[in-house]
Formats: sequence, C-alpha cells, structure tokens
Amino acid sequence: MDFLNNLATGFSVALTVTNLLYCFVGALLGTLVGVLPGIGPVTTVAMLLPFSFTLPPESALIMLAGIYYGAQYGGSTTAILVNIPGEASSVVTTIDGHQMARAGRAGPALGIAALGSFFAGCIATILVVVAAPPLASIALSFGPAEYFSLMVCGLVAAIVLARGSVIKALGMVVLGLMFGIVGTDINSGVRRMTFGFRGLADGIEFVALSMAIYGLADIALNLGKKEDNAEVHSKIGRVWPSWADIKYCIPAVLRGTTLGSILGVLPGGGALLAAFAAYTLEKKVARKPRHFGHGDIRGVAAPESANNAGAQTSFIPMLTLGIPSNPTMAMMIGAMMIHGISPGPRVMTDRPGLFWGLIVSMWLGNLMLVVLNLPLVGMWVKLLRMPYRFLYPSIVVFCCIGTYTVNSNLFDVYVMAFFAVFGYVCVKLDCEPAPLILGFVLGPMMEENLRRSLLLSRGDSMIFLQEPISLFFLIVSVGLLLVVALPTIRKTREEAMQE
Amino acid sequence: MLKVRAGKDFWSGIMFLCFAVVGLYVARGYSMGSADEMGPGYFPVFLGIVLGALGLLLVARAITSGDEPVGHISIRPLVYLVVAVVAFGVTIEPLGLVLSLILTVALAALAGRDSGPIEVAILAVVLAALSVGIFHFALRLPLPIWPAL
Repeated sequence: MDFLNNLATGFSVALTVTNLLYCFVGALLGTLVGVLPGIGPVTTVAMLLPFSFTLPPESALIMLAGIYYGAQYGGSTTAILVNIPGEASSVVTTIDGHQMARAGRAGPALGIAALGSFFAGCIATILVVVAAPPLASIALSFGPAEYFSLMVCGLVAAIVLARGSVIKALGMVVLGLMFGIVGTDINSGVRRMTFGFRGLADGIEFVALSMAIYGLADIALNLGKKEDNAEVHSKIGRVWPSWADIKYCIPAVLRGTTLGSILGVLPGGGALLAAFAAYTLEKKVARKPRHFGHGDIRGVAAPESANNAGAQTSFIPMLTLGIPSNPTMAMMIGAMMIHGISPGPRVMTDRPGLFWGLIVSMWLGNLMLVVLNLPLVGMWVKLLRMPYRFLYPSIVVFCCIGTYTVNSNLFDVYVMAFFAVFGYVCVKLDCEPAPLILGFVLGPMMEENLRRSLLLSRGDSMIFLQEPISLFFLIVSVGLLLVVALPTIRKTREEAMQE
Repeated sequence: MLKVRAGKDFWSGIMFLCFAVVGLYVARGYSMGSADEMGPGYFPVFLGIVLGALGLLLVARAITSGDEPVGHISIRPLVYLVVAVVAFGVTIEPLGLVLSLILTVALAALAGRDSGPIEVAILAVVLAALSVGIFHFALRLPLPIWPAL
C-alpha cells in the first residue's frame, strides 16, 4: 500500500539520530520562544534560516517546522501563567487560561492545553498524510494559467483574512510582488530596479527582508511600548487534568481540531486565525456561555487544539503547491530555496525522503512536546523572568550574523537596516507585513507563470477565463473580494476580528 | 469645513504612491514587450500602476472619510537599532566578529533605556563569546574572528 510505504519512507528519514536530534532541537527552541514574550516563531525561523544552510535539507526543514508547532505549545504556558500571550496565536488562551490560574487551576489548564494540542497535532498530521498526495497530483497537472490564478486566489484569501484594511493589505501584496522581482530578470538578463547596486543583482535577500521585519522592526515596536509588570502565577499544582475535566473538554477539543485543520489550509490562515475562530465557536455552541471569560476550561482546550491543528495543516499548501499560507510557511519555502529545492508539487515525487520525513517528524515532535511541556513546566516558568533587555540584543546579533553569512555580503546587512525602518513604519501605519512577505515569495513565480500563460495563448489574456480550473480560482478570488467589500459582511468581519 | 488631518491611511497611501512612482520611474527604461512576449518592463509597470492606484485610493479615502491618527512613534529604539546594524556591517570585516559584536551589542543596548553600563558590558562579552562558539566552532561559518593585521 502506498500509504504505508510513504510512512515507512518517512520513518526511515525521521528516525535517524541526526534528524531526531534536530526535531528535538526545533521543538525545544519552539517551546522556548513560545514561552518568551517578545519573540515568536516567525522571528526565530527567520533567525535560523541562514544557519540551516549548514544542515542537510531534511534536518533543516524538520528543525524549522519544530519551531513553528513547538511555539504553539510554549505560547500557552505564558498565556495561562502570566496573562501575556507568549505567542500571537495564544492570545485567546489568556482569557480563560489566566482566570483558571488565578483560581489555582493553572495545572489542569496547562495539562489540557498540552494534551489538546497533542491530540490535534496527531489528527492534523494524519490529515496531511492523507490530503497531500492527491493534492500534489492534481497540482502536477496544472499549467501556467492555473498556477497563476491559484496564486492570485491564495494572495486574495490572505488579504481577506488579514486584519485591518483590505486596500492596505492589497497594497502590501503588490509591494511585496514588486520587491520580489527586484534583481536580474531571468529571461532578458536585465537588472531590474537595482538602482545600480551590484548587491541587488540577485534580488533582495529574503533572509535580510524577513529578519528586518520580524526581528529588528519587532524589537523597535516592543521597546516603544511601556513594559507592563505582569504577575506570574508560579504555583501550578497537579498538571494532569482530572477525568471530569477531560470528559468535559473532549467535544471542545474535537471542534477545535476540526476547525483548526480547515483554517490552517487556507491562505492567510494558520494557527492564529484558528485559535480565534475556535474560541468564538465554543462560545456560540456552549450551553452556558457566561462561564467563558471566567476560567472555563473549554476556553483553553478549543483554541489550543485549534492553533496546533492549524499550524500542522498549513504545511499542506506549502508542501504540495509551493504556496505559503502564512509568513512562517514563506520562510520554509525560503529554506527550501536556499537548499536549491524548488517548492511545488514535484517535491513529493522528487524528494520523498524530505517530504515524508518532515511529516513523520511533525508527529514525533508533537510527542516530544508533550514530554517537554508537562513535566518541565517549572523550568519554563523560570525562563519567563528573563528580561527583554537581555533578549533583544541577542536577536540583533543573530540577525546581523545571519544576514551577513548567507552570501558573505555586507550589502545584505544594509538592506536589512533599510527594511527594519520600513517594517516599523508599516506596522505604525497599520499595514500588516504578512501579505508583503507572501507577495515577495510569490513575485517571481507569478511573473513567470503569467509570462508563460500569455506565451501559450499568444497574448490572449482570456486564457485565464477559458481554462476551467483557472476560472474557478478567479471566481473564488472575486467572490472573496466582494464578500469583504459588502458593508454588512465587513461589519461582522470586524466584529469577529475584535473578539 | 473639512478637517484634514494626515493619519494612518493618508501616510500609507503616500508610502504606496512613493514606491509606485519610484518603481515606474525606474522601470521606464525596460522594454515592455507585448502580451505574448512580456518584456522585463511588463510586470513591474503593471504592479506600479496598481500600487499607485491603491495609494491614491487610500489618500482620497483619508481626505473624504476621516483618518485615524498615527500613534506614538518612538524614534530612539529604531535609530539605535539601525546604527547597531550598520556598525556591524562597517566593522565586521576589518575588526572581526568579537570586537564588532561588542560594539553592536553596546549600541543595541542604547535602544532600550534600562540597562546599566556594567550589565551591557557583561552581555556584550557573553554574546560575543557565545557567537564565536556557535558560529565559528560549531557551524564553521566563514567569519573573521579578530582584526586582520
């Protein structure tokens, strides 16, 4: 059977000592940055991107993936004990989780968060195994027109699901596409928009851009805020939730996992959106919704399951289509490209070891995370007291060395400094950087597919409407844009985002 | 009377417009080609026009239907961070990793307010030592460690 063969391939890669080690390192680092407020998985993945070059591609991706889902575990610890989300996707966990901690039930809250995450991680991994091969084989039959429309659809969905103004998000995507095509044009050899800088001949370095925005600009924003003295509830007690708690949470975990798995696949989705949606859903279906906000354990179980499920399933479009659904996935694509692997449906057939090894490692990583989180929670709490003034200079150091060593090019360092200012300004103007990063990664691919489609159709742009699959993606894109443009739906969207 | 206060939307629009104008200006020299054989200028010009239109839309909307003021901008952290990064770029090759990092960390520490000089000195030395350990010995990245004599 194919299915078992694939898993066997995966295990043979994931169970080597090196890869187990990197899976562990990733999960550990992920938990660490998840626990620490002020540094999240995107920043960490960006920081480690250049160094992953020194590893074999399998180990590199396994480690980077571990950081992403590991942070989903770590983030809940901070959310529950300190009432600060250690990681953006655990924002909602603070609501009920911290109330539980104040009522002396921090232990069960942490326990259910870890167990719910683990359950969701297992289910979502199975989903990836089942859904990836058919999706990839469909994608293999796509021509340039289908691919172009798919990318349009992906970017539009990312805009619709982004926070804030749609026009700004659209602008950020277009700006990202523009930044993406800076450098030597592969077809004509013309150096485009390099302003005469030789350092830009190969384009804007992805590592420099992502570190600038998610590392440096983020630090500037954090330092601009006033530091709030949060109370740490270090009394945790018994971590294992009681049987009654577990029984009470099972439906919530199931709903969270389902919702999270679906939302993770969508472009612009992923862990953050999944957690918000799951919490809202729980409140809607609960018989006594008034308990929510006052330490309802389901308010921890559902979003924590959802964010982990979403983190895992967001790998599906990245691995099968080469299309990132969120900035972390864009970094994974960056990591693949650093190793000379072109992302897309061929990864699965050309590099089955990488593909299945990564997926199996995600399951192993989840297992490690339960072990890391439940018994070691006391150690993580101590780390919470690490002041930001020690943390951020370390990030600066990592960013500098990382950007410099990708190409041993000083120019990249200055590019990073420029984009740090740019990233800061963007956030201050409520322009989300996520769509920019997605556009940046997709820019060259989009241009190439557009060029090829028009070449095939002899310049007739109707090709995008004549190919049925391409037409479908475009209809979905237009539909999504209409949906946000309609005032009534816009209102509910804003309400949903505020919750 | 219309109250026009430049806020987030207005400045976002201006930012998009600036990038669009610069993009279009630079792309004017690239051949457009035709639809069936896109030249290097085709896609950038298309993007520039779309971006410019979005920028105009934002500015227009800000003027007609009000705007949210830009929040507090703290210049200090950003300036010191950029100075720290540039200092790294300038010094890494002539001075090597150790000295360059000590300078970078010291400058970065100025971005915040609450670190004492001794604390910063210790942090700088520790981070420099750790970096040499991780990047030079463990990862064997090609980095100069000491000043080239």
